[in-house]
Amino acid sequence: MDDEPDVERLVRQRMRREIRSGQYEFVFAGNGIEALEQLREHQDIDMVLSDINMPEMDGLTLLQQIPSVDPNVRSVVVSAYGDMKNIRTAMNRGAFDFVTKPIDFDDLRITITRTLETIELWRAALESRDKLVVLESELSLANRMQQSILPTTFPETDQYQVFASMEAARDVGGDFYDLLPMEGGRIGLAVADVSGKGIPAAMFMMSSRTLLRGAAIGQSDPSKILREVNQLLCENNDTAMFVTLFLAVYDPATGELVYANGGHNPPVIFRSDGTFSLLPTTDGIALGIFPDISFRENTITLAPGDTAILYSDGVTEAENDAGEQFELDRLYDVFAEAPPGDARTATIDVLKAVTAFADGAPQFDDITCLTLWRGGGRG
Amino acid sequence: MVNVTTERIDDILSADVEGRIDGSNVVQFEEAVRTAIEDSDRAVIMNFEKLVYISSAGLRAILLTAKSLQNRDAKLLLCSLSDRIREVFEISGFDKILPIHPSKDEALASLDR
Repeated sequence: MDDEPDVERLVRQRMRREIRSGQYEFVFAGNGIEALEQLREHQDIDMVLSDINMPEMDGLTLLQQIPSVDPNVRSVVVSAYGDMKNIRTAMNRGAFDFVTKPIDFDDLRITITRTLETIELWRAALESRDKLVVLESELSLANRMQQSILPTTFPETDQYQVFASMEAARDVGGDFYDLLPMEGGRIGLAVADVSGKGIPAAMFMMSSRTLLRGAAIGQSDPSKILREVNQLLCENNDTAMFVTLFLAVYDPATGELVYANGGHNPPVIFRSDGTFSLLPTTDGIALGIFPDISFRENTITLAPGDTAILYSDGVTEAENDAGEQFELDRLYDVFAEAPPGDARTATIDVLKAVTAFADGAPQFDDITCLTLWRGGGRG
Repeated sequence: MVNVTTERIDDILSADVEGRIDGSNVVQFEEAVRTAIEDSDRAVIMNFEKLVYISSAGLRAILLTAKSLQNRDAKLLLCSLSDRIREVFEISGFDKILPIHPSKDEALASLDR
């Protein structure tokens, strides 16, 4: 701390109350080299008070060395009154503050208090930053978990094909799709969109998907499955989260598609003759809002070569830089030349069209597309 | 960007909502609505004439507002939805949960005053 030995005695005497109460603890060093040694030894040191003139290593050199030992230590230099040149050099080398000789102990107390307060704030900020880093890595883990629950193998037989893809927006939460094997060779096809974003949405999505799978065990009526999922989601849902969910059960043997809709965008049917239409509405409200509601079912039949395209609003509401939305018309346009010829290409074509339309504009919603194609058409 | 302009007609709060309600500003929207509503309001009319977009996060905010009003026997009414906004409400089934009126006058008239 100082080149004059009596400073130690002076500090011990003038700061005796603070030292006795344990508020401050002082460690003394005769020069810069000793100071660095003490810093290494006492890693709990918060603040260095240093003279500028010292043997072996002076205060200005010490200032340069301190960060490599402990970057979080704050230094206050003691200088001769009016020695602006050295004070400026010290400040430029990272000193936090300075006091002048002869030391005014009331002023020193204020300086110490202020320095320690700043260190505390700094520590808190560092801690918050570390927590944020952990949170971010947990978020990206949640993101991967969400992606990993989506089926990636799809039925592809002579009779029919299914293919699906979800392009996640930056935040977790939002869309999912699922394939549910059912008795009699039938298959349940679901596309869903959870309200909002982030961890709450991700958790709601996970529970929606689990409840859907549970409700589909031993049950193949879409309306009854939706009713049960809705019922369970409504329990203790104080946060007013909801999920829109379209569920169809397809029978590859007959081409029959039975469906019910919990407030989701209506799928589009592209017929092999080039015509297309929205699936007739069955009304229905998003799930998780009202308990005890029933869902209406409808049945259509896919002829060979017909295609059903299920999607989320991330498709129709994809935006370009001009603020225009993709909308249904552009979805129809994807197959204006020819109806889909297989499920995989159709899905990829839709997503490509959305990407081309958006032309690099950032998308805030997950983009999901699931295609069901009935084989055997067109010779 | 969302702008909420409110006026009070006796114990009814009328809120003109302008712009978009999506994940980026839904908190701001909720806050604007929550602070404007007074405990004595028996109804809130949201005028969506100048609303151009609403995401699912926005729908949830509307739902939360409706629920909190319902808890004290007050009502949320919507009016003047553009075709696009109406479609969002119809697809999600929210048009069956919330009363939707063609104009603010008709919304007001539906509340016997």
